[in-house]
Amino acid sequence: MTLVKEAPARPAQKRSAAPVAGRRGRRRENLAGYLFMSPWIAGFLLLTAGPMIASLYYAFTSYNLFTPPKWVGLDNFTTMFQDPRWQKSVEVTLKYVVVATPLKLLLALGVALLLAQKRRGQALYRAAFYMPSLIGASVSVGFVWRALFSDGAVVDRTQKVFGLDVGGWIGNPDYVLYALVALSIWQFGAPMVIFLAGLKQVPQELYEAAEMDGAGPFRRFWNITLPMISPVLFFNVLLESIHAFQVFGSAYVVSDTRCGPADATLVYTCYLYQKGFKEAQMGFASAMAWTLVIAVALVTAVLFWSQKKWVHYEEAAK
Amino acid sequence: MPRNGNVERRTILKAAGASAAALGLATTTGCGGDSGAGDGSVTLRYAWWGGEPRTIAIKKTIALFEKKYPKIKIKPEFTDYAAYWEKFQTQASGGNPPDVFQNAVGFLRKYDKRGVLMDLKTQADAGNLDLENFRNGVLANGQVDGKQIGIPVGANTMALVIDLKAFEKAGVEAKFGWTWDEYFAALQKIQDKLKIAGDTGYFGIMYLYDLYLRQNGKAFFTDSDLGFTEDDLTQWWADGYKRVKSGLVADPKKIEQVAPKSGLSAGLAASEFTWDNFSIRYEGEGESDYGLAPIPTTDGKDTGQYLGSLMLSAFSGTKHPKEVAQFISFMVHDPEVGKIMGYDRGILATTEQYDAFKPTDPNNKGVSAYEDEVAKAGVLGKITPHPSGADVIEAAFLRIGGEIAQGKTKPADGAKALFSEAKAAFAG
Repeated sequence: MTLVKEAPARPAQKRSAAPVAGRRGRRRENLAGYLFMSPWIAGFLLLTAGPMIASLYYAFTSYNLFTPPKWVGLDNFTTMFQDPRWQKSVEVTLKYVVVATPLKLLLALGVALLLAQKRRGQALYRAAFYMPSLIGASVSVGFVWRALFSDGAVVDRTQKVFGLDVGGWIGNPDYVLYALVALSIWQFGAPMVIFLAGLKQVPQELYEAAEMDGAGPFRRFWNITLPMISPVLFFNVLLESIHAFQVFGSAYVVSDTRCGPADATLVYTCYLYQKGFKEAQMGFASAMAWTLVIAVALVTAVLFWSQKKWVHYEEAAK
Repeated sequence: MPRNGNVERRTILKAAGASAAALGLATTTGCGGDSGAGDGSVTLRYAWWGGEPRTIAIKKTIALFEKKYPKIKIKPEFTDYAAYWEKFQTQASGGNPPDVFQNAVGFLRKYDKRGVLMDLKTQADAGNLDLENFRNGVLANGQVDGKQIGIPVGANTMALVIDLKAFEKAGVEAKFGWTWDEYFAALQKIQDKLKIAGDTGYFGIMYLYDLYLRQNGKAFFTDSDLGFTEDDLTQWWADGYKRVKSGLVADPKKIEQVAPKSGLSAGLAASEFTWDNFSIRYEGEGESDYGLAPIPTTDGKDTGQYLGSLMLSAFSGTKHPKEVAQFISFMVHDPEVGKIMGYDRGILATTEQYDAFKPTDPNNKGVSAYEDEVAKAGVLGKITPHPSGADVIEAAFLRIGGEIAQGKTKPADGAKALFSEAKAAFAG
């Protein structure tokens, strides 16, 4: 309470000391602020906003990098929707998002629940489980994955023990996407940490009360934990699905830059990259990029709309 | 130079560079190739693709050149094949490609059309580049519409690499003038006796299909289009898929698994079509002994073969055309360079280098003997520079061939897809 009383005292003092210079002072302060921000602002304008506007323009042109872009209106979009490989890339990406995101979140939540309990060596466990997320995005892990899931490698030999003889996953168009899914799930560290933070926020007295009422562990999880962490869950679902839509590195490396075999790992960004940098169809690639932006925005909007139904904020709880 | 379209972007880039420098973020700006130092020396950027042995060899030849021409410094740039052309495309579109770079027949028209390649004839006329002493007319490989835009460093031709032990065990012999029917019968014999596939997947190789078409009076490319019909290709792929199903051709899944190792050296099959100078890799990769065998024919005579080659090209906008020409001339004629490079990029293209390098190991000897034999057989045809977009079509051919082999696409649908992708590639 004392803090609250003290806090407004400081600005009041300032205001009384220099009532006229205040505005000028604030302006100078703002100026300093902008000055400090200028590298970021310059970077944003030149490296983000500029290229984005340029790519929006290119999306309506035919542009091979060498000759000036030629305005073609909506041609890129119409050819795109009719292009069987584009359709395939959408299909592969959706499959990946739908399979990888829930599995990753399930694992993240499961491990977070385990790690939320107090036990010896807790910090070590948390670090160990988080580790893959730090190195997971690197190209070298892509190569490791390729080695793990090849014919006659560890995974292949292990599944043979269980009588599953499908060969390695890398060369098999029916399985290779799941190698990517596995790679994504393996990097569950970031959502796990967020879940952990969420779990810590759940008031203990709720559990105590529920226990007194005779609720079992599953009941407590379903009726207390899940609703209480639903904002965190929402955040993770949102972030991870956006992330999954943009998967590129793992697909590119695991499939040896071809996004295959038989286009089995032709995720959206991989096709976009091929169109832009291998086939030099920058206009088409830009159109693809903007379609992805719109699609992700739509998915986000749907998720935000759906949260009314399942996300419980504290105001709502009142 | 058709570079009008880049003004806007480059202005932005320059502005970005300037502001970065002003902020003290950039201490150096890398424009090495453009500027001469104060002492009159110039720096040229030289780019190539290839594995480590090639890079080591080329660096040796650069050292040799710099010793002979102390005023010219060479800055090397190298990557693997896939990354090479992506990088080159980006550099070239920004008006900043390397001064000298490795090139191949599939890219000549493409970059000529975009104004990137220098006509080296002018430099030859000025006496800075020697166009004499090229073997077997291979110099023509670098010519497009009367311009000399590539200088061959080596010559190669398609060949069939076979697992000698497997062929011997199965009791089959690869001989000049054998037909496709005989070839597939041999594969059948290998399968029956050794229980392995005969071929690693011939029908996805664009250059082999080109030979087959040439045997039948057609070609994969005309100057500006495809030289065959959708039905031709459907037939080719349908036959191929049939042979995968029957086990004559190796399981594509397995081939995919062992990459980047080849299916032949991994023991998945007994033969593989490839460029003859690539054959050197198998001995190092695999356990068996490997040899070069003749291409099967349709009529018992014509193999459809021609000499392809890797070449050196120069950037049309280079600041130092004279030095570039001197460098290329040195690289293709100097006997010492020939000794260092060997047949890494194909049989050496000029007589000076060919005479200087005497292969001692059986692999290089084999390649040399094979090409001699092919040349003597008098079957070599003329190569036509591929139309712009050929590189994209080659990638599509390999990809769709793979889909068909995996049973994911029907041959007829695959052929249709290739034709529609080719149309887009030619237009691009």
